[in-house]
Amino acid sequence: MAMQSQAKRELLALYEEPDQAADAVERLHSAGFDDNDIEILSSTPYPEGAFGEGHTKHRLFAFPFAGAACGMAVGIAWIVGAQVSLPIITGGKPIVAVPAIIQILYEGTLLGAVLFTVLGVLFESRLPDGVGLYDDRISEGYIGISVMARERRLPDAQIALEEASPIDLLSKEGSLMHAPGTT
Amino acid sequence: MIAPEAAGLKLSLRPPYRPQALSISLNHAGIALLAALGVLGIVVYVIKLITAWGDRAEWAYPTVVLMFILSTATAAPLIAYASRMAKGYWALPLRRVAALYAVPSLLSFVLLIPIMASLPPLDGRSTLWFEFRAGAPFLTDALALAILLLTGMALLWFSAVPDLAGPPSRVRAMGRWQRLLYLNWAGTARQWKVLRAANLALGAFYLMGYAFVHMLLTTDLGQSLLPGWRSGIFPVYSAVTGIQAGIAITLLTAALMRRFSPEAGRFIGDEQAAALGKILVAATLMWFYFFWSDFLLIWYARLPSEVAAMQVTVAITYILPFALTGVLMFALPLALLIFNRVRQSLSLIAGVSAMIVVGLLFDRIRFFVAPMANPSPFGHAMTELPAPYWPNALDVLFVIGFIGLMIAVFVYAASRIPVLNGWEMRQGAMLRKERTFMKTHVYVIGKPD
Repeated sequence: MAMQSQAKRELLALYEEPDQAADAVERLHSAGFDDNDIEILSSTPYPEGAFGEGHTKHRLFAFPFAGAACGMAVGIAWIVGAQVSLPIITGGKPIVAVPAIIQILYEGTLLGAVLFTVLGVLFESRLPDGVGLYDDRISEGYIGISVMARERRLPDAQIALEEASPIDLLSKEGSLMHAPGTT
Repeated sequence: MIAPEAAGLKLSLRPPYRPQALSISLNHAGIALLAALGVLGIVVYVIKLITAWGDRAEWAYPTVVLMFILSTATAAPLIAYASRMAKGYWALPLRRVAALYAVPSLLSFVLLIPIMASLPPLDGRSTLWFEFRAGAPFLTDALALAILLLTGMALLWFSAVPDLAGPPSRVRAMGRWQRLLYLNWAGTARQWKVLRAANLALGAFYLMGYAFVHMLLTTDLGQSLLPGWRSGIFPVYSAVTGIQAGIAITLLTAALMRRFSPEAGRFIGDEQAAALGKILVAATLMWFYFFWSDFLLIWYARLPSEVAAMQVTVAITYILPFALTGVLMFALPLALLIFNRVRQSLSLIAGVSAMIVVGLLFDRIRFFVAPMANPSPFGHAMTELPAPYWPNALDVLFVIGFIGLMIAVFVYAASRIPVLNGWEMRQGAMLRKERTFMKTHVYVIGKPD
């Protein structure tokens, strides 16, 4: 019984107007839910903070740096290996002279940065595996506010969402407002 | 101030405006002609592969086409990046058009392979690679171009996902890998933020790759094959004139879309011409700046080997393509673009853009035919000026066919992927409003991120 009350459940409310969605987020905050529990879904990107939500964190910018470092390391290995395996002194310059290898390092660094950025976008999109509840009306322009709440706090979340006048309120079992077309 | 098209300001958010891909049919004469040119391009390419593999002179005009693609189609996506970076809302209807040019850019890789295979050994001639032989120049150049093309495709794909994914139920029904390809799209605030960050990061890498590829290819396919041609400015000249032509081809495409696509055309107008026109004037002036910087050094220094190389590309051997370049890429465009009326009219600036694109073709002829057709690329100076290498019938067919193929691939891509960036346009409509200010009207623009 205690385990059941610890488990989190999700509610998804759909709003016609952005102001209603912002109102819902504010009410959820007032009810004690923090930004980690709230997810906003929309078919159009709204400016960050438009609904009163906090700063959304992602790690995408770490990927190019990691990729660039790996790419540069591969570039160094490539050029040093090639030059050392066939050591020809040209114009009295060192076997591995930086001006002569800079383009290989640039190429390796850029390749690593691009590949890791692409992987980073895929990674950031895959994990976590999206939101649990969804509704196709979000892609029709309605705004979804999803909240994860422990069983005992579920009524508080439902009240906060309902007070902002949603057109529908969904749980895993279906619509809590008995509106047609829900998933 | 040139007003944006009214349709762009009144986009619906609910139901959200969803752009469509171009509707094309082979029954349309223009599309049928493009398809025929595309087939011609493929056929002539295969003929060249079979009959001219390893024959450098035979790949001289294909090299012109390669550098033409790298300076038009491959340069165009930079407009999408630059306008995102500078938060230029005027470019919203053009961003996808510009990004779509990443698809025909792929043809450059198809051209690069046989061209690189025809190059002579690096020993005994000027080279960017000094004594490095582990894959240079074939592998290094191919890898650099592959990085650029991959970045362009990633930029196009990521920016198109919100328009292509459809409702969440469709994405959820997809298999694991397909869902990954669609970025598991649901429209969460985090996904939107990652998408915007990815567009900016990849755009910056695209710019870095673009400049790098121009540096490598202008050297390996140009300067290192024509003894005496030593210019640190030429790679920059190539990249900057590429941007000039990239802007021109985007404007030209915009004008054609307004003419032939009623759906996309209602968002495209003189606002785009006025904004891109200013950059086009700057790029046109840059043509002269870089040409003159290069020319003046050699004219003053009077080193015989460098003067001979300049005589090939400018003064004697390829004087006709040079003259055409000067007129079509600089003199005429500048003379026309200084007039507001030309710069602020999409129809008129499209005409100027067409001139620039044609001029670019002659520019690439004067720079790349002589090195590729040069029988003795070794040493540090030419013993005598080479005779001009004019195209034969197959070369003419190749140039026409392959450029036709490039356009056909663009049109095909535009028939599969929406030609407008729906989510950015909807956001733009949300953040840009017309307001009355005293006795006039002004546009209030929000730039939140």
